[in-house]
Amino acid sequence: MENTRKERKFNNISETVKKYVTGHVSDVAAYLGLIVCIIVFTVTSDGRLWGNYNLTVLLESVCVYMIVSLGALFVYSMGFMDISVGSQMGVYCLLTILIVNATGSLLLAIAVVLVLTLICGAFNGFVAVWLRLPSIVTSLFLMFIFGGIQLLIMESTGQNSISINYDLSVMLEPWFIVIVIVLVAVMVFYFFNFTKLGKYTRSIGANERATSQCGVNTTKWKVIAYMAFGVSVTIGTFFLLARTGSAGKSTGNSYSMDVMLSLILGGMPLSGGMKSKVRCAIIGSFTYALLSNGLIISGVDINMVYIIKAIAFFIVVAISCREKGVFLPR
Amino acid sequence: MENQTILVCKNIVKKFGPVNALNGVDFEVRRGEIMGLIGENGSGKSTLTSIMAGMQKATSGSMEYKGKPWSPDTMANAQNEGVCMILQESNTVRGCTVAENIYAGHMDKFTKLGIINIRKMIKSAQQLLDSFGMGRICASDPIDKYSFEDRKMVEIVRALFSDPEILVVDETTTALSFDARELFYGIIRKLADNNKAVIFISHDMEEILTRCTNLTVLRDGNIIGHLTREEMDLPGAPEKIRYMMVGREIGDAYYRNDYDISHGEEVALEFDNVSVGDIKNFDLTIHKGEIIGIGGLSGCGMRLIGRAGFGLEKLSGGEVRRNGKIINSPLTAINNGIGYVSKDRDTEALILSASISNNITLPSLNDLSKYSFIDPRKENAIVKKEVERYLIKCKTPKQKVSTLSGGNKQKVSFAKWTAKDSDVLIMDCPTRGVDIGVKQSMYAFISQMKKDGKAILLISEELSELIGMSDKIIILKDFAVSGQFMRSPDLKETDIIGSMI
Repeated sequence: MENTRKERKFNNISETVKKYVTGHVSDVAAYLGLIVCIIVFTVTSDGRLWGNYNLTVLLESVCVYMIVSLGALFVYSMGFMDISVGSQMGVYCLLTILIVNATGSLLLAIAVVLVLTLICGAFNGFVAVWLRLPSIVTSLFLMFIFGGIQLLIMESTGQNSISINYDLSVMLEPWFIVIVIVLVAVMVFYFFNFTKLGKYTRSIGANERATSQCGVNTTKWKVIAYMAFGVSVTIGTFFLLARTGSAGKSTGNSYSMDVMLSLILGGMPLSGGMKSKVRCAIIGSFTYALLSNGLIISGVDINMVYIIKAIAFFIVVAISCREKGVFLPR
Repeated sequence: MENQTILVCKNIVKKFGPVNALNGVDFEVRRGEIMGLIGENGSGKSTLTSIMAGMQKATSGSMEYKGKPWSPDTMANAQNEGVCMILQESNTVRGCTVAENIYAGHMDKFTKLGIINIRKMIKSAQQLLDSFGMGRICASDPIDKYSFEDRKMVEIVRALFSDPEILVVDETTTALSFDARELFYGIIRKLADNNKAVIFISHDMEEILTRCTNLTVLRDGNIIGHLTREEMDLPGAPEKIRYMMVGREIGDAYYRNDYDISHGEEVALEFDNVSVGDIKNFDLTIHKGEIIGIGGLSGCGMRLIGRAGFGLEKLSGGEVRRNGKIINSPLTAINNGIGYVSKDRDTEALILSASISNNITLPSLNDLSKYSFIDPRKENAIVKKEVERYLIKCKTPKQKVSTLSGGNKQKVSFAKWTAKDSDVLIMDCPTRGVDIGVKQSMYAFISQMKKDGKAILLISEELSELIGMSDKIIILKDFAVSGQFMRSPDLKETDIIGSMI
């Protein structure tokens, strides 16, 4: 008697869990991905993953991914993308080094970078709408432009890499990183869930026509979303520079794809829309940073890292894409 | 041979999450019959037929087709076996020719060594179109050249070329004009005469009563009853069927029952010498508390007027004004208190993947936002009020709109504008694909809006609706006004039809 009741209770629970899982496959996949990464790398690295030094390294790399992908949320939730951020960040690093070394003023460099990111954001958003191009095309254009500028700057310095003559070490203090991450996350959470910006970008991603028929000036909000992304790119750039201390021809270039992968690993649909959540950026950047870091400290050949990343990525995508639309026919 | 059973459904259950769309339905399809299927939105008729046609799987239960177990995996699979379904919404592939659309998925016939003989395919498609009396559609034309109605006819041809044993028609006729309907009725009659079976889903009671050989009524996922041809001919049959569908008496209060055409003095919306698309120099003044109906055949330009009134179309001349302000975009329209219920409910009026709550509040976010902050409590309060006002059937307002039935979706698209407290409402076919029960409540809401002093522009393809609801009816024909009628108890559909064709 007691047993059957227990059994029934257990069945009830498993039923609820099953229901939740089928309704939230991509969320569950994202969490599972993170948990599996943690467990696997804890074992394969003999616990080195949790070493003091490694945690600091991990935090440093998570922080850039997370700040940039938090800002990217606004763009990706519209179903748009921006593959120019990587080369943008590279150029911004170089510019900052040149400005700081010449004038000694970090504030000036921050101001210049911020203005540039905002201009690029506005360009991405506005030109895509104006010429009715898919957003990837305008950002492709910017990617090449900035890639070219980066090469030109390095060419003009005549060196392989240039270093900054300014002490940015405070930015690598764990407490400072944590504070900034939390601040950015809270801000993004607020703007994404409690203001027009987030509500409109998600609606645009889900159905642009219906959104504009609700009186939303979609052009304006696209531009604003890209500019919001620009702000996070500025912050991310300085953390990147603090980590590397120097910059060269290819600095930052991988970040365009890193951000996209982080978001996907966090369960974000590339088509944007209502499933876009702040936690996609947070979970995703942890998973992604863990993947890179965990593989290396587990002693995996560095040449194999990309292939393993690709496989892990494929598995997560394959799981989250299995989610079926459960809806009544008309 | 007479009335031989061809498909049997036994105890079909379909669950969508917590919702039971079908509760163990038994259904039989017999040869030589045009079986009507009627029921409110969400009663399960589309679900039942789409399971037969392989669009989705039943949660439990079994089917037998020609004496063998039947469980098609896809619609193409079912079509190859002879079960074919024509859907309510447009289902043609854009950017392709008519011929490619007709033979989509069946191009092997014309393929040799991997190369499609396009000329042969077009010729064969044209023959097919001609044989159904649709010779005016050219098989080599791109499909986008044709109207919604013609595209629907192409879909019908696509369904028929494979010579189906069972044809399911899901509310297709709402999209068709008078002529096309006649053509279509001829086609299904012929199918039945050739000992095939037709399942006919429609909201149009008259159509069902005149065209079907028998009728099945569904309600809340259960079969409520069957009517034979003889029973359908009895006087009082429509009332009986309505009663079966809704489960209660509909009563007389269906349309407005007053003939009070008075309205406020104040002008609410003004079309001043408007030229848009093929419409030239159109004038119209709508006052507070007035319902203006616009009717005509589909393609007569009546939709353009609604779109122009909401600032969706670029005018080539004249202007649309409200309170002296020019309306030239949805944004200016909404800021001046105009709301628009689009005919394209699923693509324009609603965001299907968003929640009921998101949809309802979207136009109002500007008003809710205080120093950038949108208070979720305020949002919830508004949504709660609207869900209660319209009695939207849902578990929670966080539910996705895509999980709602057609009538409830339409309620959400009304609720958007009542939440915004719009003073002018432009409604484009507001009761299209909506069942009687919801229709009745929609009419009650529209009447109430008139009493509250709202101005309403009601664009509709249904004459009875225009006569029943409008203070003044304007009929368009070929993009020009061809008749005006004032509200009166003596106004009949026959009086109006003359100016439509």
